Amino acid sequence: MYILYSIPSTASCLCRSVPSHIPIFLCTYSSSLYTCVNSHNNLLTDPPWTSQRRHFSALIPKKEDGKKRVWEQSQLLDVLEARIQQLQSDIVLDVQHAKVQFVNASKSGRGASSGKSHKNVSGGRTELPKKLIQEKTTKTKKLNLKLGIEDKPVKSRKGKLILPGTSKTLKNQEPTAIQADTMAGAPVAAATVPIRKVEKLEWKLNQWAMSASPELVQDNSEARMYEGVQLSVHCYLEACVFCGDIDRAQRLLLTHHRMISRRNLLNIGLYNVMMRVWAKKGSLNQIGRMFILVEEAGLKPNLTSYCAALECMGRTPNCSPKVINRVLRQMKEDGLCVEELFRLCVFRQDERDMVLRAIHTVEPDFQPSINTVLHTCSSPLVKDFYTERADAKYPKLAFSLEELRERFSRQLSMEQASTITIHSVEAMKPVTPHMAKMRALLAEQRMVWHKALVGALRESNMILASITPKAVRLSLYPYLCLMDQKDYVDIMIQSLSNLPPSGESLHILAKELGNRVHNKFCIRMKSHNQMVDKLSHIYNEYAELLAKDSQDFDVLPRERWWKLEAEHSSGPSLLGDNTQWPHTVVVELGTYLVDLMVKHMKVNSDILNPANDRKFIPVLYHMYTFRSNKQVGFIKPHPILTQMQQDAMETTLTFDSYVMPMLCPPVPWTSAKFGAYLLTPTKMMRTVVGANQHEILLEKCQDADLHAVLDSLNQLGNAAWRINQPLLDIIISVFNDKGNEKLDIPPPNSEAPKILRYSQQDLATYSSAEKAHLKRELVKAKKKCSEMHSLRMDALYKLSIANHMRDEVFWFPHNMDFRGRTYPCPPYFNHLGSDVTRAILVFAEGKPLGPGGLKWLKIHLVNLTGLKKRSSLAGRLEYANTIMDDILDSADNPLNGKKWWQNADEPWQALACCMEIANAVRSPDPTHFISHFPVHQDGSCNGLQHYAALGRDVIGATSVNLIPCEVPQDVYSGVAQQVEEFRARDSEKGLKIAQVLEGFISRKVVKQTVMTVVYGVTRYGGRLQIEKRLKEVDDFPKEYVWDASHYLVQQVFSSLKEMFTGTREIQDWLTESARLIAKSGNTVEWVTPLGLPIIQPYHRTRTQMLKGTIQDLSLQITHDSKQKPDTVKQKNAFPPNFIHSLDSTHMMLTALYCYSAGLTFVSVHDCFWTHALTVDTMNKVCREQFVALHSQPILQELSNFLLQKYCSGLS
Amino acid sequence: EVGKMKGECFRPLGRYDFLDLGEVEENTQRAQLCRTIKRFIIDPALAKLVTHHLGPDLEDSKAVIFECNPGPGVLTRTLLNSGAQRVVTLEGEKSFLPDLQALECLLDGQLEVVHCDFFKLDPMGRGSMRPPAMYTDKLFTDLGISEANWTDEVPVKVVGIFPQRIERSQLWKLLYVLFDRLSIYRYGRVELNMFISEKEYLKLMAKPGDMLNYRAFGALWQMACHIELLHKEPWASFVTSSKYKLAIPKSRLPNDNLCLVRMTPRKDLFSASLTPSNAATLVMMVKQCLAKRKARLVDRLNMWSPDSGPKLLKEMGMQEDVLTGHVYPEEYKQLFELVDKSQEFTQSWLYEEVLENTQKEGWI
Repeated sequence: MYILYSIPSTASCLCRSVPSHIPIFLCTYSSSLYTCVNSHNNLLTDPPWTSQRRHFSALIPKKEDGKKRVWEQSQLLDVLEARIQQLQSDIVLDVQHAKVQFVNASKSGRGASSGKSHKNVSGGRTELPKKLIQEKTTKTKKLNLKLGIEDKPVKSRKGKLILPGTSKTLKNQEPTAIQADTMAGAPVAAATVPIRKVEKLEWKLNQWAMSASPELVQDNSEARMYEGVQLSVHCYLEACVFCGDIDRAQRLLLTHHRMISRRNLLNIGLYNVMMRVWAKKGSLNQIGRMFILVEEAGLKPNLTSYCAALECMGRTPNCSPKVINRVLRQMKEDGLCVEELFRLCVFRQDERDMVLRAIHTVEPDFQPSINTVLHTCSSPLVKDFYTERADAKYPKLAFSLEELRERFSRQLSMEQASTITIHSVEAMKPVTPHMAKMRALLAEQRMVWHKALVGALRESNMILASITPKAVRLSLYPYLCLMDQKDYVDIMIQSLSNLPPSGESLHILAKELGNRVHNKFCIRMKSHNQMVDKLSHIYNEYAELLAKDSQDFDVLPRERWWKLEAEHSSGPSLLGDNTQWPHTVVVELGTYLVDLMVKHMKVNSDILNPANDRKFIPVLYHMYTFRSNKQVGFIKPHPILTQMQQDAMETTLTFDSYVMPMLCPPVPWTSAKFGAYLLTPTKMMRTVVGANQHEILLEKCQDADLHAVLDSLNQLGNAAWRINQPLLDIIISVFNDKGNEKLDIPPPNSEAPKILRYSQQDLATYSSAEKAHLKRELVKAKKKCSEMHSLRMDALYKLSIANHMRDEVFWFPHNMDFRGRTYPCPPYFNHLGSDVTRAILVFAEGKPLGPGGLKWLKIHLVNLTGLKKRSSLAGRLEYANTIMDDILDSADNPLNGKKWWQNADEPWQALACCMEIANAVRSPDPTHFISHFPVHQDGSCNGLQHYAALGRDVIGATSVNLIPCEVPQDVYSGVAQQVEEFRARDSEKGLKIAQVLEGFISRKVVKQTVMTVVYGVTRYGGRLQIEKRLKEVDDFPKEYVWDASHYLVQQVFSSLKEMFTGTREIQDWLTESARLIAKSGNTVEWVTPLGLPIIQPYHRTRTQMLKGTIQDLSLQITHDSKQKPDTVKQKNAFPPNFIHSLDSTHMMLTALYCYSAGLTFVSVHDCFWTHALTVDTMNKVCREQFVALHSQPILQELSNFLLQKYCSGLS
Repeated sequence: EVGKMKGECFRPLGRYDFLDLGEVEENTQRAQLCRTIKRFIIDPALAKLVTHHLGPDLEDSKAVIFECNPGPGVLTRTLLNSGAQRVVTLEGEKSFLPDLQALECLLDGQLEVVHCDFFKLDPMGRGSMRPPAMYTDKLFTDLGISEANWTDEVPVKVVGIFPQRIERSQLWKLLYVLFDRLSIYRYGRVELNMFISEKEYLKLMAKPGDMLNYRAFGALWQMACHIELLHKEPWASFVTSSKYKLAIPKSRLPNDNLCLVRMTPRKDLFSASLTPSNAATLVMMVKQCLAKRKARLVDRLNMWSPDSGPKLLKEMGMQEDVLTGHVYPEEYKQLFELVDKSQEFTQSWLYEEVLENTQKEGWI
């Protein structure tokens, strides 16, 4: 780890404008300092603060009311309030420390924002005994149940009460209904009409119950769309329609419709599926019928329904204008407008043109308006980025338009094929006759299996088709008819070659198979909807933005794409509207296919050894392994298969196309639903399978609020890469020659320990202790073997992909996890990988080293070695210069020389850097040497940096290099020192373990624990980490390991507490808030300073059983928003997740501002990469953005947000 | 039965005075102070009853009695009062030790107090090996108990209550070490007299044909031990350390009582063909077969070795279409003995499957 935020040489120049005696860290950063201090000053100076206090005191009940509170919520309030007080005192402390004189603060915009939440806080609080609440809640529930509106009343987030679709029922009900009606009307009338006490109470309770129950909060039509039954039915219908089985689809919808219990589960989207079908057929009758059904079901037609109706009319020759007018009128009555229809509906094929045709019959001049107004992101952090574009130098790619278009078409055909077969790096080995024989044998077997499976699938499909399904049971049949049988079987055979010899759990295997089918289906669907042509068209124009030989644009990729799409509005929408299949369907489908494989793939038992009896035996077996007393279904290959595969050493690998990096720049993310690959469906936010709360949250976002996030993803994805060929060749040579564990190149299976089996006679001679030992060894050997296999395969995949791309330029499309941390989408080979993969990658674009580039290369090399941790940059540079001989030797004779590089922390990257330095110094003029090499700048314990900045911890900030120092500080050594002090003190007091530990406390022992403390490591986990380190120390007496680790972890925690006072307090505050939020039945949500909404998807586990022919599977679902939140997880995960959301925000800001500065920039979370030439600029941007970010009242805003979100119901 | 025994008087033991059991009230309070979640026997009548079941001839029995986590020591005293020759209390909780040790001093070797938790013997996991965790060989060596033959008389009787949370994993752990003859079973056929929850007892005793509850767990225990239900006692009769709520686990099976169950390893468990060294494979086989009770046995056997299923079934005199859930524990054992003799099977790759255990506590 080395220094990002305070590099003395540059920091000092930043300092110049500031009086040097001011020690507070923010002072370093000239202008930004004052905004920051000012905003906090607001909290400090009396007048604004007292006004704020007053707001809060209205919220906080007097002590004597304490018992009556709605418990958890008030507690939350207390915690939040306490935090505000804490913030106040913290700042006072810091400022005193800093001895800074503040000017009297004026009420700045930022400070005022803290008042926002109080708008909702008015009047007194509900003060209800708990019991009463329960009673009332049940009563209200019962009432609602009676009225059949249990799930329907929705409180919109703005506080308006609406009862969608139920008003009609209500009016026709008996007297109680009227009462309920008044109840619902109460808030509206509240201001004028005095309401009877009970009603008021009831209303409040209603509100409380609603805001407390997450399912109700999310109960809008989109949200429900994804829910269980609806999603299953939707996907089923879509699948039926896709394979042309319209009867089946219609039948299913009707059976559901006819059963009242089931009908209540349907939503308008399901009827729309059928309407679209009938629209395609031009059957007005059927459309009419569907509208009647919709009415019957008490649903309201939405835009898509009308869209289908109009489409149908457009298809009907000479459709009477009267009919069309009636539809348009009806639409208006329902409050829908035609403009919206064109803006919001997703069109397939020629649907849009047909709708337009229908409208033209009655309104010949109608043209849907093209909305070209671009809204900009509201976050003040990116205001400059979006508004001041004159100086922006958005980077271009080093390709001509022609080249980019050609790359696009190659990528397109690769994705259309959905899989790609490449040569593995083992192909370089010579083929022995035995290998050739085995390959032929395997190929022959595959043909046999393929044929058998196609037959079996066809037969089982016939059986499935003939079974009349039970009324509402959804069969797998339509999912098995989406493609040719051959395509399914290809997928099955493909999975066979990836099966590890030790087998794979049925669940995982099934999931893989099911997902592959889904992927293939999505891609087919896109070409079926005829969107490929349109995509090509738009992409080809979009490429102008990036190509070097076309004009300069002052717009961002997202904006450009958006504009092009608006301009080419005719034809199908690019946005695919196919929904992700429910996880259960994916697994069930996969299990079905696995079952076929187990039953129908057979081989002759004498195929390898003619001495065996000939029997026709299965290739795959279904059995169980037992883990923690749970039985896990497993699919194991027969050793014959494994043997054949190992002997054949087949040298081709088949991957899904999205595993490969892209051959053209990715499609820019224009919304949370569209971007990245051309055809392969990709989520912008990675989630646990089946969790949809993130999607719902993102959908609710204002489009503009996500812009900064989308743009930073696009920027990361637009970085072009290529392979560092000389290095790849060296690595492959080591890989193909037995590997090297020290250099992290996994050895082949032939190097694995032999699994010995002892005969009975041998065993009889052993004592029981020896037998136990043998047994342990056996298990260990097995484990080692399977670990080695998986490591080897992983490396094989990575290297083979790299090798396949060796002459290419390629791109990694990016998406992010739910905290906003970004990741490249291709799973195996990417720059986030190990030292090996990172070393193989260089920027496609080269830039001259310039005056300072060589210096940075050298410093980078020293950083990669892990040496000279406590030297200044100048010191590191000097060190590099003293070892130039070693560097050049490493570059020239990597495997046969002195091998200096092999002892580095990151050997392969160090070697690559040696080579780059060698080339540079040997060039005629190093400043003109064109370098493709990425230079990294790493945060020094980035989590702690954020905490220190949030808590304004001066000592802490110093130790993580937020404050300029002569030499870089090392927080780990700092902690080690502090721990040593404690130890010495205890040792003097005669504490035995402190005495034993004398001389053993080092940076290494505490490092991991310090690093992970910010990510929420507990004492328990910390102890294990330290125990591990102590065990590595040879002379440390083993019998004291447990006590010592126990003692040390305590000391580490107290040292951190001492150094980072604010950190612990913030952590505690976050934890306590999360605990109370979770206890009150909510999940923790927040919004990053860049506007990305975040929700923690942790709920109590629900088990779902899946029936299967081969075995039943039980799925553990931990993200079901209908379950109560998992309090422990919610609370433990909040602090680290919050910090991650901040570090991701900082990274995104840096990415954006680097983009407008024309830099190549990529990141590995808190490690930023750019060309040697531009390191200084990047460092400057990085620092500026860090200061800008922490000048925001981050905690204040979080507190406001939480108050508003979780406590406003209390007023 | 309890009521009847309450009135009864102890037969004096001649040499010794009766040990005073202490006030129920006071004992309850002491038990409730225990820092870990446990149940205790406080009621003198219950202690008497347990003692009675450990008998009848406590004075003459040579078996050492291990009492797990005695707490305030009501059962300990009752055992001694009934003339038990050698009682070893394994107490995991430090706070109970002084009192027990005081008692130890009072007596002439009938009682030994060890700071040890029976349920933490031979741990797999990390952590320090210091009391109450312990290796069995240390415990037995310290007590001077040496390894015995399997067919010898029962050397040790263990009495106690399974901690609720780890009940099942403890039973599995004991099962594995039993078949491997490791841990306590190195010292012979150690007899367990333990309170287990009723639902677990019902699973333990489930019979073939009960497709829901008859599983490897029960089948293997029945195969290995003679199991006898001695007594059923409602949960409420036990005192719980009060700091924690200890909800009675819910189950689809009846679960109103704790059951005092005696599990005596069978003398004839091991034979020429079933030995501790290949027993693990038997365990594996039974687990595989009973993972799905409605599977056909012949299919499972064919998996090990193609085509040999029908032959084996014929040898066993079983129906071709018998389901795995209908096969008796004893039959599984015979089946394994046949399988083990057969050449085809020992060549089978599945035969070499090793059970992996990823659980921290438990067996090796």
